[in-house]
Amino acid sequence: MNAAFDILPVTLLTGFLGSGKSTVLADVLQGEHAQDTAVLVNEFGDVGLDHLLIREVDARTVLLDNGCVCCSIRGELKEALATLFSQRIRGEVPPFSRVIVETTGLAMPAPIIATLLADPAIRNHYTLHTVVTVVDAVNAFEQQRQYPEWLAQVTAADHLLLTKSDLVEADRVPALFDTLRMLNPAAPVSIRAPDDHDALRTTLFTAGHAETLLQRIGSTHKARLSAGYAGYAGYAGYAGYAGSDRLAHRAALRADQPANATPAIKAFCIEIAAPIDWQIFTIWFTLLLNRHGDKILRVKGVLSIAGASKPVVLHGVRHLVHPVLHLDRWPDPRRDSRIVFITEDIEQAEIEASYRRFCEHLEEQTQ
Amino acid sequence: MCGMCGLLGGGNHWSNATLPVEGANARRQRLLQAAVANRLLSLFRLQLDDFHGQSFVLSSPTGARQIVDDFSQVWQAAEAMLGRPLDPLELFVE
Repeated sequence: MNAAFDILPVTLLTGFLGSGKSTVLADVLQGEHAQDTAVLVNEFGDVGLDHLLIREVDARTVLLDNGCVCCSIRGELKEALATLFSQRIRGEVPPFSRVIVETTGLAMPAPIIATLLADPAIRNHYTLHTVVTVVDAVNAFEQQRQYPEWLAQVTAADHLLLTKSDLVEADRVPALFDTLRMLNPAAPVSIRAPDDHDALRTTLFTAGHAETLLQRIGSTHKARLSAGYAGYAGYAGYAGYAGSDRLAHRAALRADQPANATPAIKAFCIEIAAPIDWQIFTIWFTLLLNRHGDKILRVKGVLSIAGASKPVVLHGVRHLVHPVLHLDRWPDPRRDSRIVFITEDIEQAEIEASYRRFCEHLEEQTQ
Repeated sequence: MCGMCGLLGGGNHWSNATLPVEGANARRQRLLQAAVANRLLSLFRLQLDDFHGQSFVLSSPTGARQIVDDFSQVWQAAEAMLGRPLDPLELFVE
C-alpha cells in the first residue's frame, strides 16, 4: 500500500527528571534493531544518538476548545509528527516504521496523548502503541511526595520500568513495587536490566496483550484502596497552567491547596457481571469524564457488551479515551466486565452506585 | 460552529465505536445512543438529535440550539444551557 496511508505505532517514553529515559533510549536503539525507528525528544541529551533520526520538539501548547489543560494539543509535537510523516513519504528521511517520543522529565503525559488521539492529521497516521514510564528507584518516594508530574507519569503508564534498583537497599525495591502496583495496578512493573536490550525493546515496542491486562485487572487487584496514601501537596489547582513556564506550572498545580493537603489516590477494579448496554455505558462514562475527568487519572478495562460475543478493551487517561479495541476472543474463561479506575478523591462505591443508578433509570424507561 | 463545520464533526470519538453486535450499523447505533441520551436530557427539557451521522444538535425549550461534535461536548453544552453542572455521581439519587 502507498506509504501515505500507513499508520505508524508511537511509543511514549516518559519519566521524571534524572530517571534514566535517555539512557534507556540509547540502549534500546543500539544495533540494527533501531534502523526503522524515528525518535522525537524534547531536549537533546548527550547520549550517542547521532546515527539516528532525531527531531527536537520545542515547547508550545495549544488549548482545545474546552480549555482543559490535560486535553490540550501540543502544537510542536503535532507539527513534528506531521513533518516527519511528510518527509517519510517524500523519501527525505530514512524509512522508519515506528516512532519513540521521549518527553521531558516534567511533562504531563495527557496533553501528548491528546495530541495523538485528538488531532485529525496525526491520528490518521499514528497510533499510540504504549506508554512506558521510567521510575528512578533512588528518588521515587521523594518525587512521589513532591511532584505531581511524577504521579501523572506513573498513572498514565502501560508499563513501568524501574531503574537504579541496584543503588538502593534491598528492602526498598519491594516497597516501591507495592507502591507502583497500588498506584497503577493495570501496568506491569519490571526492573531495568543493564545489559538486556532485547527485554527493553520488547517493553518499548510490544503493546500490552489482553491476557496480561486481564490478569492484572482481575480479582487479585480488586479494591486495592490506598486510603492512607500520603501524596504530594496538591494536584487540583490545574487551571492555572499558562504555558511553557514549568515552574509556574508546578506552582499552579499546587495553588489553592493547603500545605498539608493529601489527596487520596485510589486504585480499584469494578466488576460488572451483567453484559453492558453500550449506549447507556457511553452516556454514563462520557458524563462521568466530563464532570470528573480531572480526578479520574486512569481507566483500563475489558467490557462484555450485550449482544456481542467478543470483548471490548477500554483505555483512558483523564478526559481522554482511546478508540476502543475489539478483541477476537476472550483471553480467559470469565465473561464479566472488569474496569480498573485510578482516581483522586472518588470512591469505588460512588462510581459503582452511579453506574447502577444510570442502568436502572435508563433501562426502566424502555419498558 | 457553523452548519457546514458540523459535517466534519466528531466521527472519531471513542463513543462512536460500532460494536460487533447483531444487526449493528453505525447510524443505527448512533440513533439509539441519542435516544438513550434523551431519556436523561428530557428530565431537563433538553433534546438531542443526530446531525448527518457526524455531529449532534442540542436544543433547549427556549429555542437555543447548538451543534456539538461528540458526547464529551454534548454535556458541556447541556451544562451551559442549564447553567448548572450535571454530575453523574449525584444524578438519580433518591
